[in-house]
Amino acid sequence: MTEEHPNGERPADASGRDERTDGERSADVPGRDERTDGERSADAPVRDELFLSTESLAALVDGLLTAGTEVIAPVVVGACDSPAAMASAACLRPGVAAEQVDYAVLDGEHRLALGEAMPNLSLKSFFLPQNEALLCWRQRGGAIDLQAAPTEHAPRLVLGAKPCDAAALEVVDKVMNWGCADELWNGRRDATTIFALACPMEDDSCFCTAVGAAPDGTRGADALITPVEGGYLVSVTTEKGRAFLDAHSDRFVALEGLAGAEALRAQAEAFRAEAHARVAANLQIDAASVRQWIETHYDDPLLTALGVRCNGCGACSSVCPTCHCFDIVDEPDGVGSGTRRRCWDTCQTGKFTAHASGHNPREDQNVRFRQRINHKFAIYPLRFGEVLCTGCGRCTRVCHAGQDLVEILAAIDVDARRGDLDAAAEGDAA
Amino acid sequence: MSIYQPQLATVVDLIDETVDTRTLRLELQDQTFRESFGFRAGQFGLYSVFGAGEATFCIASPPTRTDAIECTFKLVGKLTTALREVNIGDTIGFRGPYGNSFPLDDWQGKDIVFVAGGIGLAPVRCVIWNVLDRRDEFGNVTIVYGARSVADLVYKRELEQWAARDDVTMVTTVDPGGETPEWAGRVGFVPTVLGELAPSAENAVAVICGPPVMIKFSFPVLEKLGFADDAVFTTLEMRMKCGVGKCGRCNIGPVYVCKDGPVFTAAQLKTLPAEY
Repeated sequence: MTEEHPNGERPADASGRDERTDGERSADVPGRDERTDGERSADAPVRDELFLSTESLAALVDGLLTAGTEVIAPVVVGACDSPAAMASAACLRPGVAAEQVDYAVLDGEHRLALGEAMPNLSLKSFFLPQNEALLCWRQRGGAIDLQAAPTEHAPRLVLGAKPCDAAALEVVDKVMNWGCADELWNGRRDATTIFALACPMEDDSCFCTAVGAAPDGTRGADALITPVEGGYLVSVTTEKGRAFLDAHSDRFVALEGLAGAEALRAQAEAFRAEAHARVAANLQIDAASVRQWIETHYDDPLLTALGVRCNGCGACSSVCPTCHCFDIVDEPDGVGSGTRRRCWDTCQTGKFTAHASGHNPREDQNVRFRQRINHKFAIYPLRFGEVLCTGCGRCTRVCHAGQDLVEILAAIDVDARRGDLDAAAEGDAA
Repeated sequence: MSIYQPQLATVVDLIDETVDTRTLRLELQDQTFRESFGFRAGQFGLYSVFGAGEATFCIASPPTRTDAIECTFKLVGKLTTALREVNIGDTIGFRGPYGNSFPLDDWQGKDIVFVAGGIGLAPVRCVIWNVLDRRDEFGNVTIVYGARSVADLVYKRELEQWAARDDVTMVTTVDPGGETPEWAGRVGFVPTVLGELAPSAENAVAVICGPPVMIKFSFPVLEKLGFADDAVFTTLEMRMKCGVGKCGRCNIGPVYVCKDGPVFTAAQLKTLPAEY
């Protein structure tokens, strides 16, 4: 059943995603990046460089909206007007600006917030909606009709994704295509072209460089735009990005042969280098030894101590671009009809794992906290070869119990290094 | 259609096993799917009552009998309450089969000892019938089954069928205090009865499923009888939503019960954290 391609319209290259692993423990599960044969390969990036002026960008957006293309971009929202801002508790925190930034589907009225604050919520909801219909059922006599949710969508553009948010999509691609393909996720991924915007760094909660991402990372993005004088320098990284540019070539100017191109390149380079240095100063860890520490310190008092501070509200999971766990619930809309929905869920609540019998494998909050750290920094690396985190720092910003992932990873790193030192000392003594 | 789209199945029979446990016999409605449908002993499915949701149960019937599939459930929660209200002729949803299976092909020529308690017989019953339908391929078959009381024994007609066979050693027991005046079987806890029966561990495997406390006390008995940890097989249940490794709730440490399980050896269990 899981090996079927019910819609039969998947491109030939999708076959790699449906490979059943049948429980084998594999560190190199095929992700979408691998399947596309270099389409998104980091080794041989398509590095077309172009210039997009601020005016051209506005015209590009207007043109897309006029043509009816969906454009998702960071926009300014009132702190208490946006469900997203409220969900991230931004409006409850003292000292929070009255205006917040969130990703939204542009409607022509929005004020774009490119390069301003970090959106409260990640791009996750545009690919894995907070709740979405999986199917509708309707009873007709003794029979039941099922209507499946669509898995194909009209092309759309994300403009100004944070590189950590774009990278997160590619990280989650792996679990969504583990053994069998989640067509609902893939359908939205396939329909979306993503322009990431090089990030200057938000604040001291950022740590993308410590977990393999970067403020100018192109992972998960089809193009990266970097602010320069008068506009943006555009680096195209995938065929999809190139196709988008080809379709809108009148808005972009090739950098090659453009007067002042070198100066623009230098500005972009400087912007990226400074951002890199700023983020790197926040946190530097040895990811391999952190993972090893987590794998071998299951019952370590440090994890328990960190875990007991957690209130179990699950806000960290909501704002996280890589937390993808979900619930499936039926929502009857009367007698004999309704909608089966998939909703975000969090491993931080007791109900998440509670059996109908009342037994709960993760009864205590510190155990549930340990699960989150384990899943992100040990289990996901073991199963998929990379951490389930891109260092956006949202979990830290939103936590009202003061849990700080930068601090936590640093503490684990210190303990892991101490272990290394102890082992080395023992080696020397021997 | 997404991987979460269930197949429709008609309830063709229902059998009350105990006062709170019922078996549903299901016939898949889609002809193409029904004809291509196959599974292996130990795999599970997600059964849904539209309006109440989905829940995970093993496929309790053997893969050697695919005209219909059976699931046996105990009335404990919201979904099982809704399942309980389903009648013959009604339609429910089914997704599956998912998960790994018992490696029957590796057991050829070996003795098999089945140990089950309460409704834990449901997944074991699938393997028992599968083995009995391929009887020539295996050595001695021993079944030790117990429940809290006589009333709590499930698949009562089949217990009699197994006991009547001369190629099966069958011991049925009830916990002390659970017997009736007419009870002709054993009285005692499953681990104790298993120890007294003392089936040979030589060229043998054990399949065990039941309440956690029964499994906990049976493992040392099997060990004492000489069963190696990798010759003891069990099947785990965890809360699941997707069944296909995506919803993120059935993991025990790095192991996902829906994909790596639900069948594990005692040796594998010993490497896992006690989060199940």
